[in-house]
Amino acid sequence: MFFEIFKFELKYRFRRPATYGYFFLLFLLMALVTVYGNGPASEKTNVNSPYAIANFLSVIAIFGTLLASAIMGVPVYRDIEHNTKTYFFSYPISEKGYLLGRYLGSFVTLLFVMSGACVGIAVGSALGPVLGLSDNPDRYAPFELWHYVQPFLTIVVPTLFCLSSIFFGLVALTRNVFVTYVGSIILFIGYLVASALVQDIEQRELASLLDPFANRTVVEATRYWTPPEQNTLTVPLTGTLLWNRLLWSGLGLLVFLYTLFRFDFQRFLAVKLGKKSKEDMVPKATKPLSELPVAHKVYSTGAYLRHMFSLARVEFMNIVKDPYFLAILLCGFLFLFFDGWFGFPTFGTPSLPLTYYMLEVKDFNYILFVYIILIFYTGEAVHRDKAVRYDSIADALPVPNWLSYGSKFIALLGVCFLLVNLVWISGVFNQTIKGYFNYEFGMYFADLYGIELWEYVQLAMLTFFIHILVNNKFTGHIISIAVWMVLFGVRNFAEKDYNLLFYSYTPGYRISDLNGFGHFWRPLNSFNLYWLLLGGVLLVFANLLWNRGAESSLKTRLKLARQRFNTPAAIILTILTVGWLGMGAYIYRNVSVLNTYRTPEESRKRLAEYEKKYKRYERIWQPKVTDVNVNVDLFPTERYVEAQGVFTMVNKSPKPIDSLHLNVSSSVAHFKLTSITIDGVTPKLVHNDTVFRYYIYQLPKTLQPGDTVRLAMSTHAENRGFENNGFSREIVYNGSFLNDGDLFPKFGYSAQGELDSDKYRKKYGLPKKEYSAPKQTDAFGLSNLLFNDDADLITFEGTVSTEPDQVAILPGYLQKEWVKNGPDGRPRKYYAYKQEGLMDYFFNVSSARYAVKKETYKAPDGQTVNIEIFHHPTHTRNVDRYIQSVKDAVAYNGKNFRPYQYKQVRILEFPRYAGFAQSFPNTVPYTESFGWVADFSNPDKTDYAYYVTAHEVAHQWWGHQVCPSFTRGANQISESMAEYASLMVLKHKYGEDVMQNRLKYCLDRYLSGRASEDKFEETLIENDTRAYIWYDKGSLVLYALQDMMGEDQLNKAFSDFANKNAFLQKPPFPTSGKWYGAIKAAVPDSLQYYVEDAFEKITLYENRIKKAEATKLKGDEYRVKLTVEAKKLYYDKKGNETGKGKGRDLIEIGVFTADSKNKNGQTRKVPLYLQKHWLTPGEHTLEFTVKGQPLKAGIDPYNKLIDRVSDDNVTKVDVL
Amino acid sequence: MQLEIRNLSKTYSNGVHALKSVSLTIPQGMFGLLGPNGAGKSSLMRTIATLQEADSGSIQLTGLPEGDIDVLRQKDAVRRVLGYLPQEFGVYPRVTAETMLDHIATLKGLANARERKEIVSGLLQKVNLHQVRNKNLGTFSGGMKQRFGIAQALIGNPRLIIVDEPTAGLDPAERNRFHNLLAEIGENTIVILSTHIVEDVTNLCSDMAIICLGEVVATGNPNDLVEDVQGKIWKKFIEKSELADYRATYRVISTQLKTGKTQIHVYADTQPVGFDPVEADLEDVYFTAITERMEVVTV
Repeated sequence: MFFEIFKFELKYRFRRPATYGYFFLLFLLMALVTVYGNGPASEKTNVNSPYAIANFLSVIAIFGTLLASAIMGVPVYRDIEHNTKTYFFSYPISEKGYLLGRYLGSFVTLLFVMSGACVGIAVGSALGPVLGLSDNPDRYAPFELWHYVQPFLTIVVPTLFCLSSIFFGLVALTRNVFVTYVGSIILFIGYLVASALVQDIEQRELASLLDPFANRTVVEATRYWTPPEQNTLTVPLTGTLLWNRLLWSGLGLLVFLYTLFRFDFQRFLAVKLGKKSKEDMVPKATKPLSELPVAHKVYSTGAYLRHMFSLARVEFMNIVKDPYFLAILLCGFLFLFFDGWFGFPTFGTPSLPLTYYMLEVKDFNYILFVYIILIFYTGEAVHRDKAVRYDSIADALPVPNWLSYGSKFIALLGVCFLLVNLVWISGVFNQTIKGYFNYEFGMYFADLYGIELWEYVQLAMLTFFIHILVNNKFTGHIISIAVWMVLFGVRNFAEKDYNLLFYSYTPGYRISDLNGFGHFWRPLNSFNLYWLLLGGVLLVFANLLWNRGAESSLKTRLKLARQRFNTPAAIILTILTVGWLGMGAYIYRNVSVLNTYRTPEESRKRLAEYEKKYKRYERIWQPKVTDVNVNVDLFPTERYVEAQGVFTMVNKSPKPIDSLHLNVSSSVAHFKLTSITIDGVTPKLVHNDTVFRYYIYQLPKTLQPGDTVRLAMSTHAENRGFENNGFSREIVYNGSFLNDGDLFPKFGYSAQGELDSDKYRKKYGLPKKEYSAPKQTDAFGLSNLLFNDDADLITFEGTVSTEPDQVAILPGYLQKEWVKNGPDGRPRKYYAYKQEGLMDYFFNVSSARYAVKKETYKAPDGQTVNIEIFHHPTHTRNVDRYIQSVKDAVAYNGKNFRPYQYKQVRILEFPRYAGFAQSFPNTVPYTESFGWVADFSNPDKTDYAYYVTAHEVAHQWWGHQVCPSFTRGANQISESMAEYASLMVLKHKYGEDVMQNRLKYCLDRYLSGRASEDKFEETLIENDTRAYIWYDKGSLVLYALQDMMGEDQLNKAFSDFANKNAFLQKPPFPTSGKWYGAIKAAVPDSLQYYVEDAFEKITLYENRIKKAEATKLKGDEYRVKLTVEAKKLYYDKKGNETGKGKGRDLIEIGVFTADSKNKNGQTRKVPLYLQKHWLTPGEHTLEFTVKGQPLKAGIDPYNKLIDRVSDDNVTKVDVL
Repeated sequence: MQLEIRNLSKTYSNGVHALKSVSLTIPQGMFGLLGPNGAGKSSLMRTIATLQEADSGSIQLTGLPEGDIDVLRQKDAVRRVLGYLPQEFGVYPRVTAETMLDHIATLKGLANARERKEIVSGLLQKVNLHQVRNKNLGTFSGGMKQRFGIAQALIGNPRLIIVDEPTAGLDPAERNRFHNLLAEIGENTIVILSTHIVEDVTNLCSDMAIICLGEVVATGNPNDLVEDVQGKIWKKFIEKSELADYRATYRVISTQLKTGKTQIHVYADTQPVGFDPVEADLEDVYFTAITERMEVVTV
């Protein structure tokens, strides 16, 4: 019996075009993704690597939810839908046979459909190298069946089994197919909650376990895989992945068994009983019809309008009273809430629940719910009368078409309005629970009613139009979803992003406390109006095509539309169309005429051409700047800046120089060099390339070695209109932030703009780029500084002016300030600054309405330092942390390395359009989102304001005193050293036992960084571009080194190195080799192995503890016996294992009792035993006696060494 | 006032020729439209009710105080005088009967709230739904829903009432009540009653038409039509197996089982041998008319 039903189900399914349709969709999707060379991994990983396939399939399984609900929801529902249930179950079939047959038949179908993805990847990978459409045609490996079968069996099948059982069970038991939609949404939530959790490094394990699709699990299991591993290994079904799969398959099995035993025909057939209506069978005597009053009828536009609104209310209530609507809405709300709740952590530390953060979560997950609701309920509204067959009554009522049509659209507007309001409700709710009461309702409403609402309305307009046009609910849904997917796909995969062509898209914007909505209103309003007008045009067409009456074919409706197209319709349509085109022209003028739009592809090509054309000038000799005197006039409201600079330049080269190369790299859209003189003479322009903005001037007099000239330049930079995208953040109403390159041209070719990615370099015919900086022996590299090759060290002086209520800042100390009328006759505020001593040619100009907090600090070495924090007036919460950190960092660096070179440290805030902090001479600009609004109240969370400030202040020594040369590895002198100094400041403040909280992020980022390497990994000595090496490996290695050899000894070496290399005015400038030499000389012989492993090689430990046992002795003494395994592996730069460590290593062994809190309230491990042991590779059994109850024990328990698998180092102690 | 249908034709996109040059003049009073399933009754009704386009032909509603109406063009004008009870219709399940009826009354132009309330209440009483006026329509039984449909059709004093298969699904008592209600409708109103139940027409209509396969096959006063076939219908009890032979020999218009035996009616100008005369009724007229066009399988 089972088999017959199973066979019938298969036959039924495989005759349905939908089965092949779904298969084909997945096939097409994956074939396109792979043919175009997209994938989850770096450039070194094959498009069809087993790693990529596992990733693809786990993502596809997420979409599989929809397919599973479509396929698994219907097999029993079919008997309800077609009413075959009334007789089907009278046949001699058993319930279990029926269920099993239907279930398995559908499940096999579902697996077939999902295999379309595998076939797609395989075919795409086979065609990839042939068609050559990808940027990277040589990254396709030959076909390997197991790479598809293994992830299909371990990832797809269990996921689908679970989903299938749930959907199937829901329908079989509730007899309602809509619940599967809700079910799929709830599963989706599981996934998204897991995604939210992994932002926090501590929760990754849990997230891996809970993700029903195992996508997170696969990502976590392969997190640190290097490209060669990604290319060869399948994800093993062990550990968390195994548990995850067992968990979800188990849940699936439970649900399935429950369904199987719970299901019975009688229940399935039972008629749903509504509440019985009381009927009076005996009719009362009633008035005859003729005695009812004769109705007075009124037909007027006013009445119609009233009816429209009352109908809209009915329609709106119909939508919002729907239980599924409420369910989806509730889910969406939960997402809003939880996204807001988990919020915007940095290094695991939460941010305050600021209003703009509460607003931004609307684009995280909530927008998906908005799409779902608007698409589905537009369909419901449009087809409601038809669906309940009320249309035959309603359509014959004496009302105009637009009445019913308009009422439905107004109801949808109501839904849009409801949806945007949830955002602020959730936000306020969130803020209140977190005890944050600064509700900025103005900001909420401006964003929600001024921007967000219109996006929803545009979405509703198009969906409404589509639903009316195709006039079939299901097709309408599919086409609506397809339209949004195509828009999204084209933007993201085909790299087309010209907003004018993407319905409902607008340029991005960001709210800032400093600058509010700033200059974004104009582009947003323009684009929104443009799309609303187009939406209006669509609505007019939809009204003409509105299906009224019994005939729904498009042909009939087109015929009717011609009848309906009357003068008012024509007038409205004309106005809307003209308005729409007008707005389009206006936007086009702004985006493409006033500004230049380039596709990402065009931008890359441009970089390639620039390199081809001008790379030959990379090493030409140019005079070096020795003194800079600038005058900068900022006009924030008008968004332009005028600058004059006098640059004293010296020919420091051995050759005469006859020409000056100017190269404009300003980020401000419109830059003009308005005048240039050299020693008072206007030089001759001999090369004028306005496309790449490369200009060559002939010097009035050839500059002999050692000669000096004075170059005077005037420039003008401004923003005009608005651009397609980008924040154009340099000059804004409040919070301008420009650097030297934005104001003045650079000298000679700039290699910083070169294309880095080898796949694109190959595509555009450029040679492979292995390194960005020359070798350490390279004379050119040694003779230039890393941060700016236009100068060595300079003296600096300047004046800056701005609007009178703003404070403007240049490097150096404020000499005087005054108010004077500007060229436009309005008063302006002027500030004159002069820098003490020497500095890099590397400065910034800032201007904003700042509040300033000042403090004078007397460092332990006797130096007095003025600390000034320029912050947004309301951002006072963490200012003292910055001040404390500045003090501690100045003290530490001053004491251990060299004195501080200035009398002042300034920290200033700039709007969150960019997300960094950067150290300029005596000035550290910080983005608004970095610490100012963080919530550091939980002492266990990283105090990154403190930490990063210490890092940036350390750059005043490492970077600004010791200025690295332009050679490979030299940036470690700046970045790794700043990290080291900052770690030490942190260690002294909080204690050694909480450093792991900080270092675990370094370990994670180092391991992930090398796993997603696009070129190859470099050593600490040779690395020139990889941030994960200079920050994260640098941190780990230097921290461990000071832990092994002693902080003081190591600092002595650094101090000597710094004293020898600070403020060098002549090449050779310092290299990482010299730095390493200084370290190596200070390291005792026994630890030489460690520095060699750490600096010269790529070395990873795989230490782990295998067993920890303890026996109680007398009193509170315990005898602890540990079995540990020490293992050290070497890798080549590509990530291949090359050998194992053979010698002994100094590794820490620890036994711990319960965690406690330190004086700062931070959780700390409490060691009963903590010693470094010399261990050879392999297993060791260690025994010792401790006092106190041992709970945990481990090898390298603080993860001071770079350990690939850091969570198997510590285990629970079994007390025997 | 009368409704004049001239040469109305309609072919659906699937090729079904639903109306073939239908011409009818429908006077005031109750007009019955008889026909088998698929005859084109509903197509004709929907076209008059402005819900469907015609390929050709015209429909005029004449004699109204506000002037003649071209039904195919002036849809809005038709809708203002129309009361329509479709053959199949639905309601919003989560709305009460009273709210819904009030809402429809509003859309029909009844602007005065008090007047509307009175009319709604009165009509609900007429259709015996007053007790359940606050129940959601979703909880209504088939019969209750049908009565609601009647109420909505009658609201706003329509001059042209179209009721399509109104008594389908009603039990005999309800049907009776409905007939009484229809009979109450004022005289200066056109009521088109489409049905395949001959008895309904017999009971109610002063004029009627029979349509079959999209064509009008008979039209006139029911009594006159019966008179036309009087004396031409004959009956006989036969064995079921003989039916084919009789069909070959006579014009069998209907067969029916009576106490287990098969009785056939045949149409013939003179009494065939072995047949008894029948007092003809409208049903015989109906069957006579449609058997000219199609084979009716009756048992």
